[in-house]
Amino acid sequence: MKESWTMLLMYALGLIMIFVLTFHLLLVSPLTGRTFAEALSYNYVLHNLTYYQIIFGILLYAATIHGLNGLRIVLIEWLHPGRFQWIINAVIVVLMAMLLALGTYTLIAL
Amino acid sequence: MNKRFKSGLLTSLNPTRYNLERWSYTLHRITGVILALFLIAHIFEIYHVTLGIAGWDQTMAELSNLGVIELIGMWIIAGSALYHGANGLRLILNEVFGLLLGKPRLPEYPYSPLSLGRNQKIAIYVITLIVVALWIWAGLYLLAGLGIVRW
Repeated sequence: MKESWTMLLMYALGLIMIFVLTFHLLLVSPLTGRTFAEALSYNYVLHNLTYYQIIFGILLYAATIHGLNGLRIVLIEWLHPGRFQWIINAVIVVLMAMLLALGTYTLIAL
Repeated sequence: MNKRFKSGLLTSLNPTRYNLERWSYTLHRITGVILALFLIAHIFEIYHVTLGIAGWDQTMAELSNLGVIELIGMWIIAGSALYHGANGLRLILNEVFGLLLGKPRLPEYPYSPLSLGRNQKIAIYVITLIVVALWIWAGLYLLAGLGIVRW
């Protein structure tokens, strides 16, 4: 049987996210000596998004592709769409493009 | 037809009949959907940082109006992320590298799932322990934000 390339992509992006998402969560964790409200202050968020821009960019693309492809798989296995599967695929691709555009704009515009 | 065979769908919907692997599969799916929906909201939320300090503070104030609901939501999302990550690492070891699965053998009566051997059970229990411990830690941190718990 031929292996699925999208599933391999899911594993690879998941493995990347284990490191990058841990870093992201550590930035808002009490290990930084901040309370939850302080971790969400404008200056701290702006500093993180600009100083670690590339890491957040990797996280944005990995999370969006991994997450929305996962949602696509759940929808297909739940609904058994048959020949209407292209509708689910199209909705997911459009949503993915919109989220990546908005996220990339956020990271670049700062 | 034997009555035992008619209970198929009901049995599949009865979570008390799930084994450990089925439980971890179900939780992986539920937490995955929670995280995907949160991701969509989170990207929209972080976009507001481009509106400057006034726009950001207004967004944060509107989210704070949710109060306890926001904190419970954040706690569920933190737990989802912890579980999905830890269990996902186990699945990568299982499905990409073939670890934790034990040696192949012929099925013998009484049948037990070949994929759910000793190593797999230990891995699932260790994951549960780590995730519960970190989840409690995250909950205390969120409560400290309300001033209920002194951090």
